[in-house]
Amino acid sequence: MAKGNFFRANKRYHRVFWPLMAAYVALCFGGSYVINQGWVSGTVATAAIAIAVAAPIIGVFLVMLRLVEETDEYTRLRQLKSMVQGALFTISVAVVIGFLQLFEVVGQFWTFWFGPIFFVAWGLAQLRHHFWGKTV
Amino acid sequence: MKNQLRLLRTERGWSQAALAERLGVSRQSVNAIETGKYDPSLPLAFAIARLFELKIEEIFEDESGEEALAAE
Amino acid sequence: MSQRYGFKEARKRYNRIAGPLMAVYAVLCLGGSALWAFLDVDVKFTSAILALAICAPVIAVLIAKLRYFEETDEYTRLRQLRAFALAGAVTVSAVFIVGFLQLFDVVGQVPVFLFGPLFFLVYGLATCTGRWFGKTV
Repeated sequence: MAKGNFFRANKRYHRVFWPLMAAYVALCFGGSYVINQGWVSGTVATAAIAIAVAAPIIGVFLVMLRLVEETDEYTRLRQLKSMVQGALFTISVAVVIGFLQLFEVVGQFWTFWFGPIFFVAWGLAQLRHHFWGKTV
Repeated sequence: MKNQLRLLRTERGWSQAALAERLGVSRQSVNAIETGKYDPSLPLAFAIARLFELKIEEIFEDESGEEALAAE
Repeated sequence: MSQRYGFKEARKRYNRIAGPLMAVYAVLCLGGSALWAFLDVDVKFTSAILALAICAPVIAVLIAKLRYFEETDEYTRLRQLRAFALAGAVTVSAVFIVGFLQLFDVVGQVPVFLFGPLFFLVYGLATCTGRWFGKTV
């Protein structure tokens, strides 16, 4: 496949992204249901389900990184930058909450929340370009 | 993208680091361009052309154009 | 994007900020933890101030990195951005795995702090082995 083709790269991305999202939603509800019904017990089996639910998200990251490689150079830089800004925000929040935990200011924190935090920060970083003109 | 950068550089007896210094980029950048792993932006390509007093087309060879023609 | 500084100048500007910040972090980390342990700080407000003070240099280093990415040459920029994005992707992947393990009661409390070192570890490895994934650059 020719590198640097925005449209073809996008097509290849969406062809994998949407099935992965559908799988995520199905696994998310299915996994929770199976566990709540008590059909599955035991640490290993439950852990396997948890990892299975997380797997499509990891797949999304892989396909996103592939998109970044395959798309045109301008889009590549833009996408990388917004991912970096999203990651920077997420890691900053994690470090803050981490130290607050170490110093016993906050108790248990659901690790899961850093997922949505990252995706929202990433999305906002992408939108930022639409509000403040000149990018990259 | 094929290019004559390594040839032009060695003709002048410059190391990759010396060329990098002149262009204000890292040595790895020069290496990546020479080995065809990285295509420079227009500003950097112009800076390279200026340095060697050549035209961009005399340094860089547009292979993808030929591929596209061959594909048609 | 025009390049305001060359590779060397950009690196110098980054090191000039990151070096002192790292030193401040080390001092705050050791000093703050010692202070917190030995003074037996039980006031949440004081603990929070200490925690935030230790975080500040870490976040400042991250922001200095962002500036460095803007200022350095285009090839280094792409390599660094890619390594940073990869580290972010790996860290958030770990977040999802640990997150669901928590939601499904497989693991209990996990110190959130650990995602910091994980991120920097992956980032460091990715900058060293720049061509792990993808072909160009």
